[in-house]
This record gives sequence, C-alpha cells and structure tokens, in this order.
Amino acid sequence: MNEPFLSRTANFCDACTVRNRAICGDLDNEEIVALNAIGQRRHLSAGENLLWEGDDAVVVANVVEGMLKLSTSTADGKEQILGLAFPADFIGRPFGHSTPYSVEALTDVLVCVFRRADFDKFAREHPRLEHKLLERTLSELDRTRKWMLLLGRMTAEQRVATFLLDLSVRFPVEEEVGTQPGAFALRLSRGQIADVLGLTIETVSREFTKLKKAGVVSLPNRREVAIEDREALEDLAS
Amino acid sequence: MWPYHPELLETPVPRYTSFPTAADFDVLPACHYRTALERTQGDVSLYLHIPFCEQICFYCGCNTGKANKRKRLESYLRALHREIETVAALLPRGTRVRRIAFGGGSPNAIAPVEFLRLIDALTIQFNIDEPVFSIELDPRTMSREWAQVLAAVGVERASLGVQTFAQHCQQAIGRVQPEELIVQTVDWLREAGVSSINFDLMYGLPGQTLDDLEDSMHRTRVLGADRVALFGYAHVPHIVARQRVIDATNLPDRHQRFAMASAGFGYFLTHGYVPVGFDHFAKAGSDPLAAAATSGRVRRNFQGFTDDPSDVLIGLGASAISSFPGLLAQNEKNSGRYRMKAGDGQLTVNRGIHRSADDRYRGAIIERLLCDGRSRVGARLLAEVAPRLEPFIDRGLAHIDREWLSIEPDGLPYARTIASLFDAYRAVSPRQFSSAV
Repeated sequence: MNEPFLSRTANFCDACTVRNRAICGDLDNEEIVALNAIGQRRHLSAGENLLWEGDDAVVVANVVEGMLKLSTSTADGKEQILGLAFPADFIGRPFGHSTPYSVEALTDVLVCVFRRADFDKFAREHPRLEHKLLERTLSELDRTRKWMLLLGRMTAEQRVATFLLDLSVRFPVEEEVGTQPGAFALRLSRGQIADVLGLTIETVSREFTKLKKAGVVSLPNRREVAIEDREALEDLAS
Repeated sequence: MWPYHPELLETPVPRYTSFPTAADFDVLPACHYRTALERTQGDVSLYLHIPFCEQICFYCGCNTGKANKRKRLESYLRALHREIETVAALLPRGTRVRRIAFGGGSPNAIAPVEFLRLIDALTIQFNIDEPVFSIELDPRTMSREWAQVLAAVGVERASLGVQTFAQHCQQAIGRVQPEELIVQTVDWLREAGVSSINFDLMYGLPGQTLDDLEDSMHRTRVLGADRVALFGYAHVPHIVARQRVIDATNLPDRHQRFAMASAGFGYFLTHGYVPVGFDHFAKAGSDPLAAAATSGRVRRNFQGFTDDPSDVLIGLGASAISSFPGLLAQNEKNSGRYRMKAGDGQLTVNRGIHRSADDRYRGAIIERLLCDGRSRVGARLLAEVAPRLEPFIDRGLAHIDREWLSIEPDGLPYARTIASLFDAYRAVSPRQFSSAV
C-alpha cells in the first residue's frame, strides 16, 4: 500500500470531522493513536472504485467526506445497487474473506483506509471496537433492507422523496453553505440519482418538478435542493 | 393413561417429517434439484443449516461438529454464502420468501455479526417479503449481543434446547445447563420481542423418573413456553456413535417410556396447551401453531409440526433437505465436500427421491393422519391396508366411517404406526428407526 495517493499525516484523527459519529467514536486517545498508526487517508475521485466485488477483502474504510455507491452484480450480469455510503459510514467486511460488494465513489471522496488484517487484529484487542462493529453490521443490514424495499416495492415518487430525506439527514444543513437558507447540495447529477434509484433520468426530473410545483421542495439551482415541507415529503416517502 | 398395547409398537417406524422418508433417498444428480428450483412458483420457505455447536451432547443424532475450530466454521459460512447466491440465481423472479428458519446444530454457535451477514446476503439475493424468522438456540451460548441481533432482524420464533431440568439427567446426556441459564435466555428473548418460544423437552432419558419429567414440564410452563416439543430419547448407539458414552442400563424401559409420553400429553392438555400432532403442544389462544391446530392447518415438515403453508422448502447448508411437491433433495452431508462444491458455485445435492403421484397420495394421507388424526382414504388403498389396520380398529384405537379413517384420542401413541401402514416403502425395506413412543 505505498501508492502515491495515500498520505499518512501524524494526527489526522484530531481534525477528523466524523470522528464522533464513526466506528472509532468510543475509543480513548491512546486507542485513537494506535488506530491512527494503522490507518491511511485516501482521496478518491468520482467514478473511482475503492473495493471490487469478490476481491479478497484487503481493506476496510471509514467514509470521511463524500458519497459512495455499494453494488453487486446479479446472476444475469446486471448491476444491483445495495445502497449509499455517507460520511461516518463504515465500509468493508472485517473478519470476512471476500468483499461482497463493489464500492464506487459517486463524488470526490475522502476515506480513512485500514488493511483488513491490521483492523481485525486491532478490533480483537479492543472489545469496544468489536462491539461497535456489531452496531455497524446492524446498520449495514438496515441499509440493505431499506434499499431492497426502495428498489423492489416503492414508486418513483417514494424513491425520490426517500433519497432527499436521506440526503438531508446524512449531510445536515448546518454544515452546508447553500445559496438559500435550508438548501443543501444534491452532490449527484440527475443521471447518477436515476442510476442509484433504479429510475430513468426523465422520471427523476419529472419527480423533482412535481415536488417543486407542490411546494414540497425548492430548487435554487440544478445542484441544490431545499426541503420546504418536511412533513409532506415524509408522507410521500412512506 | 393411554391404553398400552406393546405388541402394536414393536416395529420401529419413521417420524415422517417427509414422505418418502430420508431413509428412502437414493443417489440423485444435482440437475434434478436445479430443474425443481427453476420451475418453482409462488411462496417458498428457506431453512439454513448451521451444523456447529459449542459443545456436543452425548445423545444428539444431528449432523454437527464442534464450533471451536474457527477456520472450519469460517470456511463453512463462506460456502453457505456462495450457496445462497447459487440457489437464489436459479429461482424465478416471482417467487417470494415468506419464512426463514435457522437450525442446526446451534445457529448461535456462530458470531452475531456472522448471523447478520447471512441475513444481509439473504435480503440481497432472494425476494424476501416480510418473512417469519425462526431460530434454534442453545441457551448455553446465548448472549446479550445475540438478543440484540434477534431483535434487530425481527426474529419472532425461537426454539430452545432445554431437554430436561433434572441435573442428574443433564449430566447423563452431557448437557449441563443450570436453570438460571434458561431463565436468562427467556428474559433476553422476550425483551428482544420474540413472541413464540419453544422448549424442546425429552422423556426416556437415562435415570429419568416420571417425577423428573413432571418437574421439567412444570418449570417449562411456569417459564411461559409458548410451545413444547416432547421427544422420546432414541438410544441407537449403533447409528449415533457418540451415544456409546451413555449408560444404557439406566434407561427407562418401554413401558416406562410409554407412561412418560402419556403423562406428558396429559400434563399439557390440562395446563392450557393444545396438542399439535403427536409430540408438539402450543399455548391455546395465543400461539399461531395452536390456532393452526384447531383449524386443521398444521403441516408436517423437517422441523416437526408447523403452520407454514408453503409447498416448497429450500434447504441451504450441508445435509439440508429441500422439499418440492415432486422432489425431495438433500445437500451433501460431508462438510468438507459440501464446502468444496458449494464454494465452487455448484449445487451440492447428491441424494433424494422423486415423489411419484402415488407417493404424494400416500404422503398426504400420512401427513393428515399425523397432523389432524384423520384422513380421507380411497377405497383401493383402504382395502390394501385393511388387514393390517384391523388390530387397531379391534382395540378401539381407530375407526373407519365411509371414506374417512380416524385415529381415536386413545390411539394417539399409535398414530405413527397407523400412518406407516400407508408407507409402501416400509413393506419392502425393514430398517432401524426409533420406536414410536
């Protein structure tokens, strides 16, 4: 792992924006230093893969910034989206042998990467982390269930509404510098949104227009959205 | 007590968790299983076999190994994940999974995270539609984490291997589990939202008295078991080698076993449970299996008596049996060969049997007799079994009313034996089964 895009900064954990919410949240300073020593920060550009399905599970990672797409290929060769990973999410399979999904950066991404063997060893020696791992696996199952439900049972309207709510929760507005109050960046193009939600670009655009006309959201520009009526959006999502 | 007619119980009979029974399986190429999967329609149930236990009990005839060999367990789970992908890819898109059962061994011999990953894989690979989850649990390896995971997954039904509360019997069968352990497990499961808890109990254990059994049944009821399965211990050391450790001189004799089965039935019947089939009991008014029993919807499958209405059960894991209307197919039993084949993306089925129209007809009669105590029987078949049915009718254990054959309440301990009269395979191959009571 000596590729040039890897950087090892002495105390990147200190300035980490997701530390409190991430898997390392419960660790004390000494443990953080130890974990820091085996971790490396890595930048990915949109479209780059962090993990390939079926590969030996070489790495696990914390998402620090950006969004990633988890997917697997079905028996008939189609891509099946399993969900999105947001900042503070944990990806990869500690104590697992192969990677059950591919992970691709949808935006520019900053991740904190660990060699799986190092991470497993650390987790075994730190029961608190091992317990966190159980929680992370539970949220991973939640994500899968939610996404399967979204793709298998939801209408286009429900999918778009669910996606917007998700985004607003995972990137809290207070961290945003939008062009109008309450606005947050969509981060993805209409085409990318269509891809992850299993819809066509036309349908996504149509749903956005419907939501805007109904006064549920406003769209200051093509890259931003503001939720005007959260309750109505929640109704549409359910 | 039930009337005791030892002469009618002399021939050991199968438990008929399937018909034909697993003893009638022959070599079966995996392609037959493939075709059955590809032609499946409607709702299906899944069974996942976890053939590991933390400790192996002396009495157990299950296909199990000790969980302490970490590497073996991990490679088994890897193969199981692969089998999930292989099998799911063959099922037509429209099939929905409505039930998922985990059995073993002890599914909680694996780590909670490993269990979650299996659920995750099933969720991704199969078309799962609000399924009922059930799991067998070993109270000795139960933990708070496991309870947390069961709650998150939404497991509604759990079955505990209790067997007996009597310490001297526990020691004799190599399964020592203090009562506090059972109490703690039940508490955790209730907190986790498990609404139906089954206790497996045993009679006919070495050194067990009628008082021991009654004490265990009493504790079971007080702990609030929603279901009870009361099995007779089958001492067959020539088949289950690990039973050789058990001192056979101390086993209750046939008459005592009969008295225990009878006492067990009487106890649950008079303490708020509905009898289900010949050895299950379910709490009247609350447990779904009790409701199924009172409305004639009980079915027989590899897990015993069930309210699962699905005609297709897909077994995953080493030695797991899949059941289709026209086929029974068993996965490779040998764990090493299973891991190799499944890990390679192959179907591992190597034994099984096609169910002919005659098999299905006889199977339906056997199932109804065992589940409802009565079945419609056609004239030809009735004529075929009439001579062998006579001893049961003469003793008032069964009766025929036009095309209906009914087992009388007193005939319950003879239900398996009566059902076996319709089993065309038994007539030709007398094999060693456990005795009916």
